Amino acid sequence: MEALTGILMASLFHAATLFLLTAGLQLTFGVMRVVNLACGTLFALGAYAGVSAVHWALSRGVPVELFPLVLLLAGIMVGLIGIPLERLLRTAYKRPEAFQLLLTFALVLILQDGLRLIWGADPQQTPNVATALGSVTVFGTVVASYTLIVIGLAIAIAVGLGGFLERTQAGKILRATAENREASAAMGVNVPRTYMLVFTIGTMLSTAGGALIVPTSAASLQMGVELVVEAFAVVVIGGLGSMKGAAFAAVLVCLIRSVALSTFPEMEILAIYIVVVAVLMARPSGLFGKRYA
Amino acid sequence: MKNPTMPAVEHALPATTRPPRKAWPVVLHVCALGLLLAGPYALDPFYVSLAIPFMAYAIVLLGFNLLFGYGGLLSFGAGLFVAIGAYCCAALTRLGGGVAFEGMLSVAILTAIAIAVPLAVVTCRFTGIFFGMLTLSFGMLFHSFLMKFYIITGGETGLLVAQPTLLGMKFAQMDRMQFLTGPFYFYCTVLLTVAYLAMRKIVDSPYGLHLMASRDNDVKATYLGVRVQRVRAVAFVIAAVYGSVGGAILGVNTGLADPELAYWTHSGHIVFMAVLGGYQEFVGPIVGALVFTLLQDQLQSWTQYWRLWMGVVLAVIVVAAPGGLAGTARKLFDRSSKS
Amino acid sequence: MTAPQQLLLARGVTHCYGGFRALSNVDLSLAQGELVSVVGPNGAGKTTLVHTLTGYLRPTHGSVEFLGRSIAGEDAVVLTARGLARSFQLVNVFPELTVQAALSVGAVSHLKIGNRLVSAIDRNQKVQEIVIQIAEAFGLVEVLEKTCNLLPHGKRKLLDVACAFTLHPRVILLDEPTAGVSSADKHSVMETLLAAAQRMGIGAILLIEHDMDLVRRYSSRIVAMRGGEKIADMPPDEFFSSDEVLGVVLGKQVQQS
Repeated sequence: MEALTGILMASLFHAATLFLLTAGLQLTFGVMRVVNLACGTLFALGAYAGVSAVHWALSRGVPVELFPLVLLLAGIMVGLIGIPLERLLRTAYKRPEAFQLLLTFALVLILQDGLRLIWGADPQQTPNVATALGSVTVFGTVVASYTLIVIGLAIAIAVGLGGFLERTQAGKILRATAENREASAAMGVNVPRTYMLVFTIGTMLSTAGGALIVPTSAASLQMGVELVVEAFAVVVIGGLGSMKGAAFAAVLVCLIRSVALSTFPEMEILAIYIVVVAVLMARPSGLFGKRYA
Repeated sequence: MKNPTMPAVEHALPATTRPPRKAWPVVLHVCALGLLLAGPYALDPFYVSLAIPFMAYAIVLLGFNLLFGYGGLLSFGAGLFVAIGAYCCAALTRLGGGVAFEGMLSVAILTAIAIAVPLAVVTCRFTGIFFGMLTLSFGMLFHSFLMKFYIITGGETGLLVAQPTLLGMKFAQMDRMQFLTGPFYFYCTVLLTVAYLAMRKIVDSPYGLHLMASRDNDVKATYLGVRVQRVRAVAFVIAAVYGSVGGAILGVNTGLADPELAYWTHSGHIVFMAVLGGYQEFVGPIVGALVFTLLQDQLQSWTQYWRLWMGVVLAVIVVAAPGGLAGTARKLFDRSSKS
Repeated sequence: MTAPQQLLLARGVTHCYGGFRALSNVDLSLAQGELVSVVGPNGAGKTTLVHTLTGYLRPTHGSVEFLGRSIAGEDAVVLTARGLARSFQLVNVFPELTVQAALSVGAVSHLKIGNRLVSAIDRNQKVQEIVIQIAEAFGLVEVLEKTCNLLPHGKRKLLDVACAFTLHPRVILLDEPTAGVSSADKHSVMETLLAAAQRMGIGAILLIEHDMDLVRRYSSRIVAMRGGEKIADMPPDEFFSSDEVLGVVLGKQVQQS
């Protein structure tokens, strides 16, 4: 039971950050029909920024208990890079889909080396802060409070984002723009500004996700390119453009991973892809997606 | 009724518009071949050795562009088959004995077909983003397989590829560099020529026409009797074969089957080459392979942050010159021939 | 005298998109030598009808027979091989291909050489013969070397229909072939189509049209639809002398400019 809870908690933590990463991807895709290959690199950027922010904060005497806030702020602030990035992507909106994808690949190349330039090639880690907030016993297992905070935060963001999109006026405008760019523009929606806003929020979600993961994982260059694969598995299973799908699939993917790791470690990625292919054969639009493929 | 798949790059001429049969394209091709054959005699051995990866990638890209430029399907998993080619060579090396390159090529081709056929069935139901994501994922699946099962695959360090015999000849009197810049170079030139001519025939064939029709308007193509999924799947398998041949050449050239060949960023570089050269022209991808190889080499000698500059080049192309080098050249040529 | 052969027979065709009933119990027959026009306001289900008749959609209820055989479960590719072709309302043709290439697509299918990987298509006599024949019939010979997306709208519509003709079909369904064509040209377009159909030996034509002039002049029978239902099926004289039918159909008609 203890081992199981431990695995579950670790999975949910990983799923929480993965959800944030893919929520960013979904948002960007849902409104702009662009799949951002650089989402993983942005996640890594958030992670690096988080590490630096924590080091800086601690050296300035900020109490260690505030580190989650430091991480979150760092993640959100560095997400502002979305503004110039969207500007760049804007030049390719008229180009075919393939080109937009390629432009985001160009971003991967540029940003990955950018990360190396600023932070160097070695993985970066925060000092041991994961346990600074103490721990809680859940079903007989000791779990770091930080883990629960992040899970809670991800749930709050998921619910908040979902609520925003479904219930508020602004959210409805966003969804309308996703469905029909021209019609929305014709009705007075400032489409360029909407895209800027959406892309930046999407970027912030990804960078925030990265920042939140650093107490338990080091920030590394590989992170950026490896996570793209997991993110894609999540969007395919959950459905492109669906927040609910991202949340559900993130949990599913992480659970499958954990189960595989503790039973047949070699099957880790294979297990995920078997599910991906199965979902694609049975329901190509994903478990929650609208018909797109 | 929606007509999906890739719309055109503005003002770029399609690959199907061929000028009436004149002498000069043939002359150009002969000159290019001549230059290629003269390489080992005229160039510095370093550049000759660079020409081999160029030829390998040229072959990979000819196949890639059948799927992309002519079929409208952007694959982010071309690296999968390049890796398969290299690892087939390594597998034969493991089995020992004097391995023939012809044997390596045959195994690479057959393995590529065996893997591409089921993959084509799964992936060719999709287009656009989904196709890209799926192919990316399958490439990474293979990469992860290569890393996890390191006992047989050599994991991160890869597997050795021994120098093979060419047409039964061993060339034992040569050192490695002499072998590569001599007999192997010419062998690859022949392979590239054959691959080029074969692909030329394929795109000019009735099948090629049906493939292009499916790219431009899959609904109308269906109503004109084109089995859209099938033509795409065939293109996928052909691209896979070309990819593995290129991979085999790379494997022998570096003496190593490297798992990074299957990584999605490597596949991204392949797409980069196609777009750099111009995916809407037949020779475009080859031009792209050449320029990319030279550019990468130059940048690497200047800075360790060469990927950043490559990214900038790619961004500039996407934004300003989507027709790539060949596409832009054709635009300029047309403009000057009109004035 | 034997009854004219029913080339296309739809019985009780119903199609529902989820909860929405696009077609309700539609019966339609098309005999050898007939040109049947299908008229009705936008949203009447005309295009959905064409989809079900050509195998693009499966009717929720009812059956469709082509040349005496049911088309159930057969896809568009199989049906084109059997001799059923269609043109499209919204025309895109093949943007990147030349007119010559576009016309060759159907010709290749007709000659069943689509799986040939290595023979050059522009040196294939049979394909080029079909291309020239159709191009002449449709007045497209001068634009053979032009890329489809550079063609003016009228020529593009002609090309769309011409492509369908390259299949040498028995029956052809034309979905608004004169939409977007100026009134002055509509008649010449129809004349071209019909002359080509004669030359190619096409058995019957199903025409979806908004222009009542054309309908009156060229149809052997007129089928009127509204709200997914067939509300009339009669020869033009009867149709145009029935105020009741005209009122119901024209009352809601959007006249194509």
